[in-house]
Amino acid sequence: MSGRTRPRPAAAGGPRAWARDLAMGMRFAAGGGREGWTRTLLTALGVGLGVTLLLAAASLPTLLENRTVRREAVAPAETERPVPPSPRTLVQAPLETAFRSEPVRGQLLRPDGARPPLPPGVTALPGPDQMVLSPALRKLLHSPEGALLRPRLPFKDVGTIGPAGLVGPGDLAYYAGSATLTPENGGHRIRAFGVTRAPEPLDAKLLAVLIVGCVVLLMPVALFIATAVRFGGERRDRRLAALRLIGADARMTRRTAAGEALFGALCGLLVGTVLFLVGRQFADRITFWDIIAFPSDVTPVPWLAALVAAAVPLAAVAVTLLALRRVGIEPLGVVRSGGGRRRRLWWRLPFPAAGIALLLLNGGIEGSRSTAGPFLIGGGAALFLLGVALLLPWAVDATVSRLSGGPVPWQLAVRRLQLSGGTAARAVSGITVAVAGAIALQLLFSAIQSDYLKVTGQDSSRAQLQSTLPSHDIGTIRKTISAFRETEGVRGVIATIEASASRPGPLRKGETFAPSTQVTVGDCATLRELARTGPCKDGDVFVVKDAGGQVEGSYIDETARPGATVDFAFHDGPDGAGKRPRLWTVPRSARTVESRKDPMGQDSFGLFATPGALDPALLEEPMARAMIQLAPGVLDAVEHARNTAAGISPLMSVRALRDTVRDGQYTSVRTGLGVAAGATLALIAASMLVTMVEQLRERRRLLSVLVAFGTRRATLAWSVLWQTAVPVVLGLALALSGGLALGLALLRMAGTAGLDWSVVWPLPAAGAALIAVVTLLSLPPLWRMMRPEGLRTE
Amino acid sequence: MTPEGSLLAAEGLRKAYGPTPALDGADFSIHPGEVVAVMGPSGSGKSTLLHCLAGIIRPDSGTVRYGPHTLTDLSDTHRSALRRTDFGFVFQFGQLVPELTCLENVALPLRLNATRRKAAEHRARDWLERLEVDDVAAKRPGEISGGQGQRVAVARALAPQPRVVFADEPTGALDSLNGERVLTLLTDAARDTSAAVVLVTHEARVAAYADREIVVRDGRVKDMAGRI
Repeated sequence: MSGRTRPRPAAAGGPRAWARDLAMGMRFAAGGGREGWTRTLLTALGVGLGVTLLLAAASLPTLLENRTVRREAVAPAETERPVPPSPRTLVQAPLETAFRSEPVRGQLLRPDGARPPLPPGVTALPGPDQMVLSPALRKLLHSPEGALLRPRLPFKDVGTIGPAGLVGPGDLAYYAGSATLTPENGGHRIRAFGVTRAPEPLDAKLLAVLIVGCVVLLMPVALFIATAVRFGGERRDRRLAALRLIGADARMTRRTAAGEALFGALCGLLVGTVLFLVGRQFADRITFWDIIAFPSDVTPVPWLAALVAAAVPLAAVAVTLLALRRVGIEPLGVVRSGGGRRRRLWWRLPFPAAGIALLLLNGGIEGSRSTAGPFLIGGGAALFLLGVALLLPWAVDATVSRLSGGPVPWQLAVRRLQLSGGTAARAVSGITVAVAGAIALQLLFSAIQSDYLKVTGQDSSRAQLQSTLPSHDIGTIRKTISAFRETEGVRGVIATIEASASRPGPLRKGETFAPSTQVTVGDCATLRELARTGPCKDGDVFVVKDAGGQVEGSYIDETARPGATVDFAFHDGPDGAGKRPRLWTVPRSARTVESRKDPMGQDSFGLFATPGALDPALLEEPMARAMIQLAPGVLDAVEHARNTAAGISPLMSVRALRDTVRDGQYTSVRTGLGVAAGATLALIAASMLVTMVEQLRERRRLLSVLVAFGTRRATLAWSVLWQTAVPVVLGLALALSGGLALGLALLRMAGTAGLDWSVVWPLPAAGAALIAVVTLLSLPPLWRMMRPEGLRTE
Repeated sequence: MTPEGSLLAAEGLRKAYGPTPALDGADFSIHPGEVVAVMGPSGSGKSTLLHCLAGIIRPDSGTVRYGPHTLTDLSDTHRSALRRTDFGFVFQFGQLVPELTCLENVALPLRLNATRRKAAEHRARDWLERLEVDDVAAKRPGEISGGQGQRVAVARALAPQPRVVFADEPTGALDSLNGERVLTLLTDAARDTSAAVVLVTHEARVAAYADREIVVRDGRVKDMAGRI
């Protein structure tokens, strides 16, 4: 029997062949010496950056959920009925203030007994005039700028609130102890801390924005990962040709190549995980759109993390097999069958067309309800943006094939693009998709923002702050108003003392209560802000009619008539009947005028009197309101006013007047997308730099040869710039048209019309600026690779 | 001291890559129109000598004189300008720019020297004809054979009419027939234009095309008799 046997073809396919070839590829990648490891390192770095961002994105739900849980945990428990005092209760009152634009959350606490409930993160309640506070607040108070805040927190620091009691590490929070707080003087008795509110379902339009946002932000990451696994492709092809020479068939070599990419992707997963774990340790030092998180809150949702771990290696294998489909790896070299073939448009166009069709043909969003499911919206947007990414190589090919002539750098760039436009297109596909998606998102955002913007009616041009004084004592009220007037940076105070006036005497037939109206005492300047008084001097009285017609005029007529007597005493309630009346006669000279909306947007009416006509001391249980006008240009005038208020009573709040307020969900979605957009842009910049360096590295030897000829550095630098600029211009043009198309489709879905060009232009400009920066950053590596050492072969 | 009448001369060249010395006091000279073969085993320092002579790298010590210039004293900008105007290069694998056509590759050094495109391409076409590869003018390097590519590389080196051609293993990647054809064309064309040729090789049959041979061993230059 002959010892020679006929060679058996290797198993054509099957899991065993796949495993064997992939493992062989991984061994090549791992054992490729310095050159191989450099390539693997670049791939791992590229993939790792993408994985870091994916893991960060996968952590966003946990982060937001934990913030909500923490916020709810520190809120006083809500009860339907008043809580009776017991050793297990305490009385609390909110001490809300703000420092510059940062809210400072405080609570005043007084335990009823020995075992009061403890707020989360607090081990013992602070005693009277003591406080426990968050580390961020302590740091602020000890900083030079914190000097402005210290007068508002005149408590002794006796402890720290732990992470369990804070929404985030940047949370400015404190709990202060009180000996006098009662439900009667502004407190609220509770048994526990923590509320559970049913999550509010997300508005359909915002959900659409959120889904499109996720697609827009994650697609460039996916594209970059797909680019990174193709790093070093040219040298790898030569290596694979050698494999063919020793008997590997075409399928084996492709699988081996996929194995090499798989190794890079697995290293990338590792690098990404390490970068993520290291990076999240700095989460408490980085503020993104006002969000600063505890490192422990930046934890990926397990199934999303698993998806990333599975998808990245699978994508590496799939992309490599796809990239090699037109590459014939022959025993004596590599033949690129696509070299002379033009890219086809016909199979690329259906992607964006199908995306638009999905968005337009399958329902829309009306009001807060959507007939188009989230998967439909996400799928449509993803298909469209994928189409944009697929169209880019075709657009680059179609354009550069028509270019010729020009100086040497231009010629080198154009010829390079003609030969390998795909590589250049891949490098800018991420930014193209990101800009296209951002344009669409911005269009949608700007079109729907009016839906989420509520006009408060407040007029911040007339007054900037508002405060309600918690005291009924006229002495305190006068002192407070005077203190505000003397505060640094306060230009004026629209201060009113308000009470109620009723018709004196017994009730008439059919009446259940005496007609009454409001009495407002203020100086002429104040009264002019509340009514169209015309000429006014101290001693004047006005009968103010409700111009808006919301109040029954007869009540005013029956009480506040010139010459009529009114009673300021309350006669309601069990002890009201025997009370001594506080009578005052409205002067006959009182003029009837129309009311005017005050800076808070509220109408006042009834009797308006200047202090010379009516002594406020005559009023029973007067209330005081102050609207504060700040002098423009005085730094921290708001903080000074808040300090004045806190000096009078810690429970006195000072709120800023705002002409409009945004819907909370809208703000959350916008904040979330802002955070993610920042991270994606950083990734795109880093990934473009890595891609450019890798492309330069592949051409290192050629660059050295060109240098040997005496080629000027500037010639090569311009060539690199043109090579980047041409695909970038095409990519941004495609992004602009694609973004507009997607944006208009989304606007139509949302039933909103109107194209705001002002939000469109900045995005391509930002994309171009980003690329310019990255290109400039790639010049130093270019100079390094132009060194003659690249000619050495031994 | 520079040998009488030499075009390019080097004296006491030393160059080390890290702790490894590549050149250790090498001397060299070449006259106009002369073809000198630089021989030696792999790693002996042949290519480093060529790179120093061409002003591509600066030696750690020693001088290289080219006509009135001391290359080792010139700035990188001046050395680059000299390489563009006076020197030509042929490397083992041609090292043509893959994205340019063969015609554009040959015209490239002329264009780098500010020759207008049409004039540069006209001269390039002449050289392609002379090197018998005018039929591949419109093709890219990836579409032609190794022998054709090397002839295009020779045409590219000679097109600017250099005074010195540096050829580093120009036939190392070719079969003997193609190699001989390329060497014949290179040396004939160089002699026709009075260009000196520094021919780095480790093959004796290649060195046979030279007027003179030197050997580089352990970073030092010896003549064929073994004298340093």
